[in-house]
Amino acid sequence: MMIREREKCLKSLSAAQFMVWELHLYLDTHPNDTNAMLRLKKYAAQYQALLADFEAKFGPLTPHSGSGVAWLKNPWPWDIEECAK
Amino acid sequence: MFQYEKKLQYPVNIKNPNPKYAQIIISQYGGPDGELGASLRYLSQRFSMPYAELKGLLTDIGTEELGHLEMIGAIVYQLTRNLSMEEIKRSGYDTYFVDHTTGVYPLAASGMPFTATYLQSKGDVITDLHENLAAEQKARTTYDNILRLVDDPDVREPIKFLREREIVHYQRFGEGLRLATDKLNEKNFYAFNPSFDKHCNKRK
Repeated sequence: MMIREREKCLKSLSAAQFMVWELHLYLDTHPNDTNAMLRLKKYAAQYQALLADFEAKFGPLTPHSGSGVAWLKNPWPWDIEECAK
Repeated sequence: MFQYEKKLQYPVNIKNPNPKYAQIIISQYGGPDGELGASLRYLSQRFSMPYAELKGLLTDIGTEELGHLEMIGAIVYQLTRNLSMEEIKRSGYDTYFVDHTTGVYPLAASGMPFTATYLQSKGDVITDLHENLAAEQKARTTYDNILRLVDDPDVREPIKFLREREIVHYQRFGEGLRLATDKLNEKNFYAFNPSFDKHCNKRK
């Protein structure tokens, strides 16, 4: 089912994105931690791959990657999946 | 600048609408310790921050808070879908409904509309960081109280995520405060405003 597949892809994308963000915040107060920087780079690469995959299947997540019909397509983030067709 | 990303930081998918829960949780949208106040507080304070680590920290946490505001909006919206007039009257949601129907408006659970008096931007590094540490704890307590009042796991999961973020932000602000005091003359941490008085930095 398309909705479940989208939810699954979004979940792995968000998980990788969260790791990047958490390490990014940590590096604000530990800017010289090279180990944390390496971990961030690992997750950032994962995130980029998952993002490309998601956008190819379900459309743009940022205004850089699509406009018009593709950008306007439902669901929007607050839509509940059942009524998002 | 800011640009939109068309996703939530953490998913919100609430199967069962519940206007009573919406009326409680909207406090984290526009209430005294809510996400709107948090984002405005940090994104305003950052302009007078003298140290790069703190400019970065306030920009990043302030930005994340905007994402949390969006999550709370999504929770309130999903909790008030497809309501019957009977449910609206019975739940006590009628007092909100009369002014906003099912639109999302920034106010506290008590009905008090959002006000900038919920936050401070004092132009003093030490003062502002203490304000932020307190703000994170106040938000954490509010999320704890929401978790005492709400049983539905669909609602509790994103609320638990937001509660955890308050704790991480508290940790980061604590580290920010340490970074700031490390740069100051330790005889005078609280006698000067490091954003305004230039002579209070540690002598090299």
